[in-house]
Amino acid sequence: MPRSWVDAILAAGVVPASYVPDASVGRTDLEEFTGAEPVEDPELRVHSLAGAQPLAPAAVGFLDGIEQWRVVGYAGVTPIVRAYVAAAIRLRGADRRPHTVAEDADELAITRLDRLPAAVRGALEGTGVRVVEISADDAGQPARALPAARIEVQKARAALERRLAERRLEALGSDEWLVVDGVLSDSAALSAHPRALGVVKSHGAQYFTGPELERALTLPAVHRTSVFRPKRRGARREIHSWYLRLWPWEGNDLLYGLLRVEARAHPDTGALAPRISAWLVDERAPLATPDRRWDRLLYPIHDVETYLRARAPRDLIPYPASRLPRTGS
Amino acid sequence: MIDRRDPPPVGRVVATEQKPATPHQFHFWTANETTIGIGAIVRVEEEPGNRKGEAGKVVYGVVTDGFAYSDLATPLHDVVGAEGDPARAAESPTVRQEIRLWTAAVLRQKPEEPLQPVPLGQVHVASDVDVAQALRMDTYLGGAEPTAIPVGLYTSGALEAPVYLDADFLLGPEAAHLNISGVSGLATKTSAAEFLLGSIFQHFPAHKGRIAAVCFNVKGPDLCFLDQPGALEDEDRRRYERLAVRPQPFDRVRYYAPFKADGVNLNTLRTHPDLVGDVEPLVWGLREVLDYAEVLLNRDDIDAKADAFIDFLSDRVVDKDFDDGFGGAHRVVTFADLERLFRSIFDGLELGGGRGDTWRTHHIATIRKVRNRLSNISTRAKGLVTDDGPSNDLPWGRFEDRAVYVVDVANVDPLGQDLVFARVVSKLREHLERRDLGVEAVVVFVDELNKYAPADGPETYVKKMLLDISERGRYLGLVLFGAEQFRSQVHRRVVGNAGTIVFGRMDSDELATPGYQVLSPATKIKLATLPIGELMVRHPHFTQPIFVRFPRPAVLRGRDGVERFPPAADLPFEDAVVRQLVKLDRRVRPNLVKDLIADRREEDVRRALAHTRQIRPQDALAHFRKQLGGRVAAAPAAARESVAPLNPISDDPY
Repeated sequence: MPRSWVDAILAAGVVPASYVPDASVGRTDLEEFTGAEPVEDPELRVHSLAGAQPLAPAAVGFLDGIEQWRVVGYAGVTPIVRAYVAAAIRLRGADRRPHTVAEDADELAITRLDRLPAAVRGALEGTGVRVVEISADDAGQPARALPAARIEVQKARAALERRLAERRLEALGSDEWLVVDGVLSDSAALSAHPRALGVVKSHGAQYFTGPELERALTLPAVHRTSVFRPKRRGARREIHSWYLRLWPWEGNDLLYGLLRVEARAHPDTGALAPRISAWLVDERAPLATPDRRWDRLLYPIHDVETYLRARAPRDLIPYPASRLPRTGS
Repeated sequence: MIDRRDPPPVGRVVATEQKPATPHQFHFWTANETTIGIGAIVRVEEEPGNRKGEAGKVVYGVVTDGFAYSDLATPLHDVVGAEGDPARAAESPTVRQEIRLWTAAVLRQKPEEPLQPVPLGQVHVASDVDVAQALRMDTYLGGAEPTAIPVGLYTSGALEAPVYLDADFLLGPEAAHLNISGVSGLATKTSAAEFLLGSIFQHFPAHKGRIAAVCFNVKGPDLCFLDQPGALEDEDRRRYERLAVRPQPFDRVRYYAPFKADGVNLNTLRTHPDLVGDVEPLVWGLREVLDYAEVLLNRDDIDAKADAFIDFLSDRVVDKDFDDGFGGAHRVVTFADLERLFRSIFDGLELGGGRGDTWRTHHIATIRKVRNRLSNISTRAKGLVTDDGPSNDLPWGRFEDRAVYVVDVANVDPLGQDLVFARVVSKLREHLERRDLGVEAVVVFVDELNKYAPADGPETYVKKMLLDISERGRYLGLVLFGAEQFRSQVHRRVVGNAGTIVFGRMDSDELATPGYQVLSPATKIKLATLPIGELMVRHPHFTQPIFVRFPRPAVLRGRDGVERFPPAADLPFEDAVVRQLVKLDRRVRPNLVKDLIADRREEDVRRALAHTRQIRPQDALAHFRKQLGGRVAAAPAAARESVAPLNPISDDPY
């Protein structure tokens, strides 16, 4: 996508802006299930991974995506957002070094077209950039428009990741797994594949209450819970899931080192859960530092993110002191 | 021949605020598996489009440092990840991202103006053409009168390119002199000098005239077999071919060595019967020594009075008919003649009565002092300096093109070494100044330069002369190729005037001295671990030192030579005389010689032999016999007539 669409709308009368909202550095949890049904045990129990033989796939693809966005201008009070989303799969083989096997990126403009002056709208449409519109209700003032824009960016990113993952599944080798940063249940293909895993680091959704919730959130290190089935809601596909603790949480936080793993809803998943869990425990090393989420972030996922950020447009990154008023000269 | 293949890119220039690219230095990264290493030459190409309508800048650099690091924030994270078990760290399922980051010093920018920071572009391994450009060799490789001398092969991975020195800057007149440093025993200094001499002899441009070399063999058999082929491996031959140098020993080598104290056996390790015939004795007499008396006498001895008297002897006495003032006529040619003059003077002063204690304004104490010192010379440098008889010297005025003159002083007393060195170099200089040496340029190879031109210590005649060569020799065509183990211990003006500097493997302590501060730590490490056959070269055209590999010299190494041609044991006096006469004339029959010299004084035999050697008559034996003179038969003492005592001796004691 040529960089010039921003120049085009600025030339058409948009007041230039340079604002990267704080929240744009990460995403909030998408809508999750609530409630779960037991699969492995009658109720949620804690299983030690001691003695579990880790699964050792010959090759593993790790998928992650990034999103970057900033307000590049205002037409009146309507923001025009420039967003960049990208996703990649990095395959780790026998040499233990990830290399990129698939990647995609997209740039989009997010605004409300009917709130833009005709000249600006014409300029924007003339550049060929993909325009995503926020709702008319959200376009009134930045306090609502920017969160709405952010949701559109996240959707774009999730869609990109899903497309990339599904394309990869078609070429997945017989001894190759695909590990996705996030949920599988967005995609029918992913949620049904025998060698696809979702690794979820955020725990906004609540599946248990009472003693089961306590068991899940106070899981000891190198232990997992029973496999359960999150209750279906909306368009989400059925999957099996379990919690896994990578690092001791005591002295830190209940969610410290806690992952939720998603795999296909299939009887084999329960049988493989110990071996998959032991494999993911092995993935603790190397640590994904300096990322602040290192206690839950697998290093190969961190590696994909590093790769994507290295290839992202540099002008979307906030510069130190960039919001200082310009001098008169 | 230059290879013009273009290699693929291997890296990319990066610049950060902490590590910016400058006009003289830049940084680039490569894949972890790369052929790039310290000393590699690279080419950076400015990417198309950076300059509208202009050809992109091309920058050549040499790698001076390398860095590798991963995304590990702190070593503690590795410990935590492995739970304190190093074995587990190695078993982690994913290898951390890591980088190979290199620092390169700029060799050349094209265009050269305006001089700007290195652009952020692709990095290529240098090809032959790039190496020629980077090292500015293009200026002397081509043209009507190329002056390129192959010095070795620059190698990087599978690529290798010949590196040439500019004869105008190696052998004058623009710059001159070569200095080689390196630890002993790694076949670096001598081998490099031998290879380079061979290369010079084959590639010295015709328009620069004729060239010869004088090599002082100062230790062991190092330079004693330059005319014999040495063992080469296929890799050596391939390198020779790549450098367009024929792998062959020197065609014309002349060996000179003084005698041992017996005056007939040569003081060299090249005494194997098959080879000793090529060795010429180096024998000097009074005239040769007197001009360099300053070399032989301690500085304390050379006060103004002694100096004046030595000058008097040299100017007024030696080789002239001279009246001693006491009625004696002298013609002083040899030390023996001089001794007779001294005796005559002392006798005259002692017996003359009332004539005081001066002779020709020189005090008798000064005369005695000079006499003592000079007479000591023939003792201390016995074999080199002859008391009497003719001298035998290098062929001054008849030096041959592409000839090597080896002067073997390895087993000579240090005093004698100083004398040989001082005199030979001085004579070279005199003849080159007069343009009558026979060649236009002479390379003088001196090993152990830290001994002859030390950084500290007294100002000796030899040191002064070496300084003089270093500073002015290039105008004359007198070029010093010096070698030493520790460069820091050689006079800074001697090494500083060397236009071309070669480093072999260096001692770490030496590398810690201030003279090596300009080198990066990585370059120092490489220097401290250089394999045999690899050198670092600095040359006026090269803005940075370059590592090159050279083939082993095509001559027999000294220690191999003494194994293949073991030195002969010293011959008895008679046999040594026979051998020398047979060398002059193969018809000479040994038994006749032995009969001839039986019961003759050795000094008489030596004198006759020296004269024969000098004249080189057709009939050597006849000439020798004539010089030896007739045998004076020992006559029995005549019986005295007894004379009876006037008075018989009485038994009575009183």
